[in-house]
Amino acid sequence: MSETGKKEAKRLRMLKMNRKERACLRRRTAVDIVWRIFRAVILFGLGFVIMYPLIYMVSCAFRDRSDMTDPTVMWITRHYTLDVIRETMQAMDFGNTMKNTLILNVGCSFVQVLSCSVTGYGFARFQFKGRKLLFAVVIMMILVPPQVISMPLYWQFRHFGVGKFSVNLIDNMLTMYLPAITGNGIKSGLMILIFCQFFKGMPRELEDAAYIDGCGPLRTFIQVMIPNAASAFLTVFLFSVVLYWNDYYVSSTFFTNTKTISLMLQNLDTELKMWLFNSAAVEIPPREQIVWKEAGCLLSIAPVLIMYVCLQKYFTEGIERSGIVG
Amino acid sequence: MADRKKLSYASKKSLYGYGFIGLWLLGTLIFFLIPLVKSLWYSFNEVSIDTGSMITEWAGFDKYKGVLTADPYYTEYLRDTLIETAWKTPMILIFSLFIAVILNQKFRGRVIARAVFFLPVIIATGPVYKIISGDMNTTGNAGGGMQFSTMFSIDLMGELLQFLGIYGLSDRMSDMISAIADNVFSIVWSSGIQILLFLGALQNIPPSAKEAAELEGATAWEYFWKITFPYVSPFILANFIFTVIDSFTSPTNKVMERILAMGSDWKFGEAAAMAWIYFGTILAAIGMISFAASRFIYYETD
Repeated sequence: MSETGKKEAKRLRMLKMNRKERACLRRRTAVDIVWRIFRAVILFGLGFVIMYPLIYMVSCAFRDRSDMTDPTVMWITRHYTLDVIRETMQAMDFGNTMKNTLILNVGCSFVQVLSCSVTGYGFARFQFKGRKLLFAVVIMMILVPPQVISMPLYWQFRHFGVGKFSVNLIDNMLTMYLPAITGNGIKSGLMILIFCQFFKGMPRELEDAAYIDGCGPLRTFIQVMIPNAASAFLTVFLFSVVLYWNDYYVSSTFFTNTKTISLMLQNLDTELKMWLFNSAAVEIPPREQIVWKEAGCLLSIAPVLIMYVCLQKYFTEGIERSGIVG
Repeated sequence: MADRKKLSYASKKSLYGYGFIGLWLLGTLIFFLIPLVKSLWYSFNEVSIDTGSMITEWAGFDKYKGVLTADPYYTEYLRDTLIETAWKTPMILIFSLFIAVILNQKFRGRVIARAVFFLPVIIATGPVYKIISGDMNTTGNAGGGMQFSTMFSIDLMGELLQFLGIYGLSDRMSDMISAIADNVFSIVWSSGIQILLFLGALQNIPPSAKEAAELEGATAWEYFWKITFPYVSPFILANFIFTVIDSFTSPTNKVMERILAMGSDWKFGEAAAMAWIYFGTILAAIGMISFAASRFIYYETD
C-alpha cells in the first residue's frame, strides 16, 4: 500500500471510532513517540559510556606528548604523529609479544574449545554411571574461583609428577596447555555447559542416521555433529580467545618471564621507563604517561577488536542459537 | 572379542560416554579436584616451605580464627566487598534486563547498538579495563588533570554534556548527576554478558505469546510483567549467579588482592583460609537466594 493510501485508511478508521477510542489511540501514539525519544537518549548516553575509552584511546595514541599538557587540545590533536605508537610497540617488544600470545593464549583457547566440545558432547548424549555427580563437578568448576586453587596448583606444577620422578613445569608452556587440553582451562566449566546444552538441543535423528549407516560415535561426532554446531563453536571460540587474551592472572602465576600482551600491558610503566630512559626510577609526568598507556591499550586490544568487528554479525546473531540459553 | 559381544547396546554406549569425558575427567582430577582438596587441607594447617618441599602441621581452626580476628584488613575488606556485591548485583540485573529489552526491539541502528553494548564482553576481563576504569589514579594522576584523565568517576556526565555542546548546568545538578554516573560506568561495563544472556532469552519467547497479548490489548507494561518477566525468570537466576561469581573473581576485588598478597608471602595456610571463608560466604548467599528464587521461577514445560 502506498503512503497516501495508508494515511487515507487510517483517517477512515479514525472516523469510524468514537471519541474515547480516538483519545486512546492518540495516547498510545504519544507514548510511543516519547518512548522512542527516551530509548534513543538512553542508548546514546550509555553507548557513550562504553565508547568513550575507545575514542579516547584513539585520540591519545596519535598525539604528540606536548599536546597532553596543552589544555586547548581536547579530542583532536595539533601534532599528528605515530611516534608514540612506535615507541610503545618497541617498549612492549610487540613482535615477540604477539608471537608469544598467539602461540600460548590463542593456541590454548583453540585446544580448549575442542576438549570442551568433546566433553560437552559426552555429557549431552551418553548415559553412564555417575553422570549426575560428574556434572555436579562441572558446575563446581564454574563456581570455584581460580584464586582458590591457584596456590596448590602452582605447587603441583613446581613438582609435577610422582615422588622422585617430578619435573619443574613452571615457566613451561605446558602449565597452560595441559589444563586446556584436558578441558580445565580458563572458565572451562562454563564452556562445557554451553556445549552440553547446545548438543542436547540438536535432533537425535542426525546421529541415529549416522549410526545406522555404520558410523562409530567418534566419527559421528566429528563428521556429523561438529559441522552442525558451527555457530556454537564460533561463539565459544570467541569467548575463549577473549578470556585467554585478557588473562593475566593465570599467566602471571605460572610464568616468571614469559611475555604475553596482557602481562606486558600490566608492566607497561616499568617497561617504558626502562626502554626510554634506561632506568626504572625516572618519573614521567603522569599527564604525558597517559599517551603511552592509551597507545598500549589500543595496541593490545586492536587484534581482538578487529576479530570482534569481523565476527560481530555471527556473534550477536549466533548467540541466540548457540544454546547458551538452553 | 567374545567378551565384547556380550555387552549390551546400553552398556556399550555408556562406555563410549566415559570415552568422551575421559580426558576431561583425568584433567579435572589433576588440575581441579586435587588442588581443591589440598587448598582445603592447607586452610587447616600450618604450612611452611622447607628446601623445596611443603611441610604441613595440623592446626585445626586456628587459621580461620586468626584470619577473622587478628588480620588487620581481611574482615574490613570482606564486609566492604560483600556490601558492594549485595547492592551492585541487583542493579546490574535490572540494568541488563532493561537494555536487553530495548535491544530486542526493532529500530534503526540496532545492529550497531548491539555491537557497542557487547563490547565490554571483550574488554572487561583484561588489564585494559583496569587501566580505563581508573587505575591511573595510582600513578599519581588524581590532581588537576581531569580532562586528560580517563577516570570516569570524575565527571562522566559533564563530559557527555560537553561532547554534545551543553555547558553550564547548575552545580547541584551536576553533582547529583556525577554521583549517579560514578556507578553507571562500572555497572555498564560489567553487564555485557548479562545483556547477552537476557537478549537470548527474550528471543526465545514464542511469537504466539506476543500475538495473544496484542489481541487481548495488553499495554507494554502489562506485556513486560505478564509475558516477558516469566519467560526470562530462569535467566535472572542464572545471571545472578554469573554476576556474583564475576565480582568474586574480578581483578579489582580487594579480598582477592589480600589473598594473593598472603599467597606471595608464602603464607599458604592463611591465604587458603581466607579464600575458603570468602568462597563459603558467597556460596551460602548463592544457595539461599537460588532456593528462595526457585519458587518464583517459571519453567516452561513442553
